[in-house]
Amino acid sequence: MTDTENIVSRYVQRRVMLLSAILLGLMFAVTAALARSYHAREEGLVQEWFDKGNADLAAGKPSQAFEDFRNSLSYGPENPPVQLRLAEALLAAGRLTEARSYLVNLWDRAPGSGEVNLDLAHASMPTGDVDQTIRYFRGAIFGSWDQAPALRRRQVRLELCDFLLLHHMTKEAETEIAGLGADTPADNGFLREENGRLFLRAGEPAKALAEFEAALHTNPRQSQWLTDAAQVAFEDGDYLKAETYFSRADRENPSPDLQSSLDLVRAVLGNDPRLAGLSEEEQARRTLRDFEQGLDRVRKCNRTGAANSPVEQLPPDLQRLAKDAEDLQKRVNLSALNRDPELRNDVMQLVSQIEEVASRVCGPPSGLDQALLLIEQRRQGNNP
Amino acid sequence: MSEPKIPVEEAQAPAPKVETAPAAANESSLRWLGARARSFTLSEGNLFLLLAIVIGMFSGMAVVCFRITIEWVRLGLLGSALAPPPLRVLLAPAGAGLVVAFLVQKVFRAARGSGVNQTKAAVYVFDGYVPFRTVIGKFLTCSIAIGGGQSLGPEDPSLQMGAGIASALGRRLKLSRDKLRLLAPVGAAAGLAAAFNAPISAVLFVIEEVIGTWSASALGAIVLAAVSSAVVMRSFLGGEPMFRVPAYTLSQPAELLAYAVLGVVSGILSLAFTKIIAYFRPKLRALPEWTYYFQPAAAGLLIGFIGLRIPQSMGTGYPYIDEALHSQYTWEILAILGFAKILTTSLSFVSGTPGGMFAPVLFIGAMIGGAIGGLEHHFFPQVSASVAPFALVGMGTFFAGFLRVPITSVFMVVETSGSYSIVLPVMISNTIAYLISRKYQEGALFDILAKQDDLELPSMEEQREQIVLRVEDAMRKPDLPPLQASDTVTRALEIAESSTEEILLVRFPTGRWAGIAKKDMPALAAAHPKDTQLREVLSTARLPILHPDQRLDDALRFIQGHPLLPVVGRAGSRKLEGVLSLPDILTAYQRAT
Repeated sequence: MTDTENIVSRYVQRRVMLLSAILLGLMFAVTAALARSYHAREEGLVQEWFDKGNADLAAGKPSQAFEDFRNSLSYGPENPPVQLRLAEALLAAGRLTEARSYLVNLWDRAPGSGEVNLDLAHASMPTGDVDQTIRYFRGAIFGSWDQAPALRRRQVRLELCDFLLLHHMTKEAETEIAGLGADTPADNGFLREENGRLFLRAGEPAKALAEFEAALHTNPRQSQWLTDAAQVAFEDGDYLKAETYFSRADRENPSPDLQSSLDLVRAVLGNDPRLAGLSEEEQARRTLRDFEQGLDRVRKCNRTGAANSPVEQLPPDLQRLAKDAEDLQKRVNLSALNRDPELRNDVMQLVSQIEEVASRVCGPPSGLDQALLLIEQRRQGNNP
Repeated sequence: MSEPKIPVEEAQAPAPKVETAPAAANESSLRWLGARARSFTLSEGNLFLLLAIVIGMFSGMAVVCFRITIEWVRLGLLGSALAPPPLRVLLAPAGAGLVVAFLVQKVFRAARGSGVNQTKAAVYVFDGYVPFRTVIGKFLTCSIAIGGGQSLGPEDPSLQMGAGIASALGRRLKLSRDKLRLLAPVGAAAGLAAAFNAPISAVLFVIEEVIGTWSASALGAIVLAAVSSAVVMRSFLGGEPMFRVPAYTLSQPAELLAYAVLGVVSGILSLAFTKIIAYFRPKLRALPEWTYYFQPAAAGLLIGFIGLRIPQSMGTGYPYIDEALHSQYTWEILAILGFAKILTTSLSFVSGTPGGMFAPVLFIGAMIGGAIGGLEHHFFPQVSASVAPFALVGMGTFFAGFLRVPITSVFMVVETSGSYSIVLPVMISNTIAYLISRKYQEGALFDILAKQDDLELPSMEEQREQIVLRVEDAMRKPDLPPLQASDTVTRALEIAESSTEEILLVRFPTGRWAGIAKKDMPALAAAHPKDTQLREVLSTARLPILHPDQRLDDALRFIQGHPLLPVVGRAGSRKLEGVLSLPDILTAYQRAT
């Protein structure tokens, strides 16, 4: 190549390289604009399909929702909220294997996600793997939550308690409920009430009552909580508390049911001769009243039974009790009862037997008879 | 065949016009030019490297635009849902096929095919010349075809577009013919790197399939172009690996057996896929030329019918590969998807629709791999892992079996997934598939396609398979031990009488070797006293030496002007292993053929 050609060639190269630089700049601008518009469109599509999926899921169309979420993911694969919703759609559609597969993938990347753990717990429940399910529930309780973490953890714990109770794992359930109680803010009566109901389901009425009372501290006039507390106290045999709460509930929100419960509690309290603090005289008076009621009950029951079938076919217990009552009647009077605590005890035992047998033979008791049955059950420690 | 696959009218166009200096350039204007040019003085080698970066940037941006355009076309024609409405599924691929066929037949005849062979043809037939029109044609036709749902991919077209851009720049810069020829693979690597977001695989593919050798002159530029192109692409479309892969660990060595089974199945299926294309493509090309206008549309219609039931088998299929990699399908579904894709891709490709094979091959591999993995897991849960790693390994395995690029296939899986732990199963499975494919199919797919297109392109696989002759294959033992530098002229005369060689080799203590021709001996004896040592006589003479492991091709360069050369060991050049003459070399070559 001659010098002249060399110079010309270098000049051409320089010109071409300059031109390339300008072209690169132009192409960069075009590509950037194109990429920006495409990314915007992609983001729009991710959201559009996500919203549609949510709507379909809410409308009870999980299969359609699954397709929507898949579409959304095709424009933004690394999108955990969409992936999670897709798994939830699969769960809702009953496609558990696929749902589990999605969720396990999500779990691999975010083992501490509360939502993923909860969904995995839901996916594991139908498999019957109780231990695995509990592990995922616990993972959800101790996992991270983006929104309202305290509330979500509480909901999960409630769900776990449900699950445990359903599988008769009462001890584990009690532990969870206790944890729930510890985490519950003292000023939230509704949550306290929820705890109380769980304790009731776990067979812990005393703890349940404590939760209802804690709820009432936040709002002493909440009629439902008053009713709940009264009911638990009643079932636990604490008729004094039951009477207090039933009467307050009836004041706040009067109803025939409440009134009848209140009447029953008052009947128990007004006729139980063993209530603490009663004088000997009062105990005797109450025992006599109860005996007369028992005698009346056995007679009526005998009469009703005899009207329906021959006397010899009446249960032997009832006949014997009727005879015992008739015999005892001769010895029972106010002064004898006042003097003899043993007699009071015998009388009340007979009365309770009468009420028990009569309730079996002649139907459920009402009024004072029902109160007498409760009094005896309380004495035996068998609260309703 | 009525129409050559590489368009003669474009590709064989006369060498690009060279801009001549202005006729009226006088001395003063030359001085001005010289002053301007001095501020930009790069040797051709350096300019070549700089150009590689520029090519990479252009190619990267072109591929970004290409991929986005495909997506826009897809959104426009098929809609944004993965399972598009039935009417669109039926009509879009057929309509796209019709438009593309018209464009290919009337405007961009060079846009037909995948792009790999066209790039090879540019390197080996057309001195690196790829018309820029081809780049535009490839961009448009492939965007429409792939976006319209034809079962093809954007990688091979990207490779050709990169080569086209490189060629155009090289021509404008008036590079030498050698450099122009090297530029096409440089651009090809850039295009592929951007399309795959995998620069290492792109470099390997170009070396393995396009240029065939680790040429030092091209390697630097290829690497620079691939890297710059990938960087540009990532800056626009993000740097995440192409496929998101769950974590994988090899739990027990027995798992490798499961991957070996995958290698066998993939090898057989890739073989079947190759044979389907190799059989039907010439059949369709033999039909009257007017049918070329309708073949892509007919293929599109059939694809549409398949797509009504299996929409996953349309387009590139990348979202579904992702789903397979995340174990979202049962093995039965995966198997169906794999076979459906073989069918739709065969239809698209043999009908002459422009587009690449890489994406469909990866799709088929992932589905077949996943299906095999799922099946094995079903029967032997203790041996095989979950579906996902099988899908990943399957991609590389089918790629190795179908395209017959074993090294690229291994690196491609690792690079596109960002998962190094998978490399062991990939190597085992790929090797098996590759060996099966090679055993039962004479040539690699691209070689078969080239032959069908009446192109005699060098087969890289054949080149790799060629037996390399070495000096040890041609050398022979000397009939007598060599003379020493301390021997006298008399001794040399005695030896010359008993030796059958025309040349007597003389060894110096330093390891230097020299030779004396027997015919020169009388003159030598006359010119020197009889007790003169040979070191005095041959004070400046020196023979090139050869080593037994050197290629015979290399020996040919040294033998020029020397009837006989010593072959010495590499451990010490004083020990004579043998001797080599030109007739020995020719005999060895004759033996080898």
